[in-house]
Amino acid sequence: MSPSADAAAPASTSGPPLAPLIAAQLSYLLSHSKLPIKVEQIWSGCRNGRYSDRFTLSIPFCLDYVHWDFLYNALAPKVAPDVVFGPDDEGFQPLVDYAEAGSGDKSCLAGWDYRDPRGLLALMHELRELYVEYHKKQVAKVDDARVTFELSTVLSKEGIEVCMVPSADRPEEVKFAVPLLDVDFDFAKLVPGCPWKLPQKIHLQVIFPISRSSSYSSVPSAPRLKLISTPDLKSLFSVEDEKLPPWSNGMCLAEYLPALEESLNLRVVEASASIGARRRFIEALAPTFGRPIEADPIFCREATVLSISGIFTFLVHFAIPLQFPRQQPALTLQSSQHLNADGTPIMSLPINDYPWSPRWDQAEMVERIYDFLTDECQNFKKFCSDTITQQK
Amino acid sequence: MDPAPPVAATPRYSLPPVRRPEEDILFCVDVDLEALTEMKPPAAASASGPSPGSASTGSPQQPAGAGGAARPALRRLDAVKQALLLFVHGKRKICPGHRFAFASLGETVSMVKKDFSSDPGSAMEAVHSLAASGSRYETADLTPLFKIAYQEGKRAESQGRLLRVILIYCRSSTKPHHQWPVKPKNFTLDIFYLHDKPTADNCPQKVYDALVDALEHVSQYEGYILETSQGLARVIFREMCILLSHPMQRCIQDDLDIPKQVAKKTLATEAAQNEDGTPVSSQQ
Repeated sequence: MSPSADAAAPASTSGPPLAPLIAAQLSYLLSHSKLPIKVEQIWSGCRNGRYSDRFTLSIPFCLDYVHWDFLYNALAPKVAPDVVFGPDDEGFQPLVDYAEAGSGDKSCLAGWDYRDPRGLLALMHELRELYVEYHKKQVAKVDDARVTFELSTVLSKEGIEVCMVPSADRPEEVKFAVPLLDVDFDFAKLVPGCPWKLPQKIHLQVIFPISRSSSYSSVPSAPRLKLISTPDLKSLFSVEDEKLPPWSNGMCLAEYLPALEESLNLRVVEASASIGARRRFIEALAPTFGRPIEADPIFCREATVLSISGIFTFLVHFAIPLQFPRQQPALTLQSSQHLNADGTPIMSLPINDYPWSPRWDQAEMVERIYDFLTDECQNFKKFCSDTITQQK
Repeated sequence: MDPAPPVAATPRYSLPPVRRPEEDILFCVDVDLEALTEMKPPAAASASGPSPGSASTGSPQQPAGAGGAARPALRRLDAVKQALLLFVHGKRKICPGHRFAFASLGETVSMVKKDFSSDPGSAMEAVHSLAASGSRYETADLTPLFKIAYQEGKRAESQGRLLRVILIYCRSSTKPHHQWPVKPKNFTLDIFYLHDKPTADNCPQKVYDALVDALEHVSQYEGYILETSQGLARVIFREMCILLSHPMQRCIQDDLDIPKQVAKKTLATEAAQNEDGTPVSSQQ
């Protein structure tokens, strides 16, 4: 995980550094936001400005990103920034929303304090929330009874986001980003020593086609479904490997989601238990293979041991899959005595077709791998010698 | 494989969920004349050795196996350079985030590549540029090495990384010295001592003891001091692999049990009668 100092470094800076007060606000946002915000570019509003005072942020929305420009003015530092939204969002006018609501609520822009480093984060949050509400209203206007019905059943879910899917060459669609599992489900609690800095989430992406001539006689087609997780979660649990429950004809989200969440809960608990199983496996290597040279202590996906057969010394790298023990570790051997033509030590391909049963206990798993390696390392040694001979 | 449990109460290996910082490893390689000592040619050793088909220890251009009449002798520094590259590639395979820098030791330390990087190409360049000067140095002052390590140690700590120094020392009669004061320990020191067998004209034991003192004076985590007088390249490679171990996941040196034999029972017994001597220890 890169420290927060790295997170403040923009993807591309083609100009002078940010004015200090603006930099303080951006830095605060990047280190305190619970969302993975990225800085796309930073530039100056003046041709030969001493400081940069404008930047583009990529802000997650509905399992995608929107790109908003924040325009400060280094020559007028007390003034709050302007914000430019994307080209498809002409209709999004957040300050007008406040006026129309007539509730006396004000934007944080009304009390803007240019010296407060928290200003930008507050503004970004506020605008994003209004943006989410704006899109909910857009989708609510869609003339499709099924979509309207589905929306009504999930609108109360905390964190739900919806939007239209614009498309030039396809009939329009609507996307729902449905957060799964409890809103305060903390994946990090499943990982002792967890290094994640941001909260992790799994969403179900649901894409409904819009059929404006909604006739009640036809059965609505199944939506496109996809599980999407935040990136860090992949080291615990791979949504790609998850088979979604089938969507039967005439089903709706209200029926589909509980079954999905129940199954997901079980799989997540399994994934967490697998860390423990992997940890114990690595620990079980020591009596047979000697103390591992190095091992991954948090997700327990890798361990390396140093072995010797006669006078041939070699490393064995264990790559332990997420579905351990159902899936077996892949073994890669690396010679300490043979080099490729490019100067790198000769390595085997990963080996994962050796005898294996998830029902063995850890000690037996280790012993079986040891037995396998007593022969395999001879093959590997021969492979190394042959490779060297072929290089001449 | 020996089924009997160990007699001594060696603590069992455990892998608690404690963060494993990525390492910044500074190699400091002795370039004294003694780094040019010739190694034992591998063919001679394999005549009575237990394993068939000797492993090639030279560069890919050198022929494998016995014979090789016209082959130039491998020198200590050549073997060390190969061992460094072996180490870099091994460490990167374990975790691509580990980084490396390089220095040489003559009378004192001079940086060869001071920026830590995980790029194997630049590591190769730095290693290839290491050259023995051909002079015999009167002294070996480790103070600047510790100073650099201490600064880098602070920097590494602020970045959530761990600093380690691996000193490769080749002199059989010149004790290293330092004036490093007692300071907070923020780097680990490993030492690999390549030396001649003891004779009337040298004092490798005294040098070894001085190296041990230096290690104990500065090392944050358990540092290993390995040594060999065998002159066998494959032993150098083997020992360097032991140094791959992450300092925060190590046992104390007395409990080191690697590399362990991977062999069917009968072969294991033969291989156990290995031709390598037992290491010089500070008790002797």
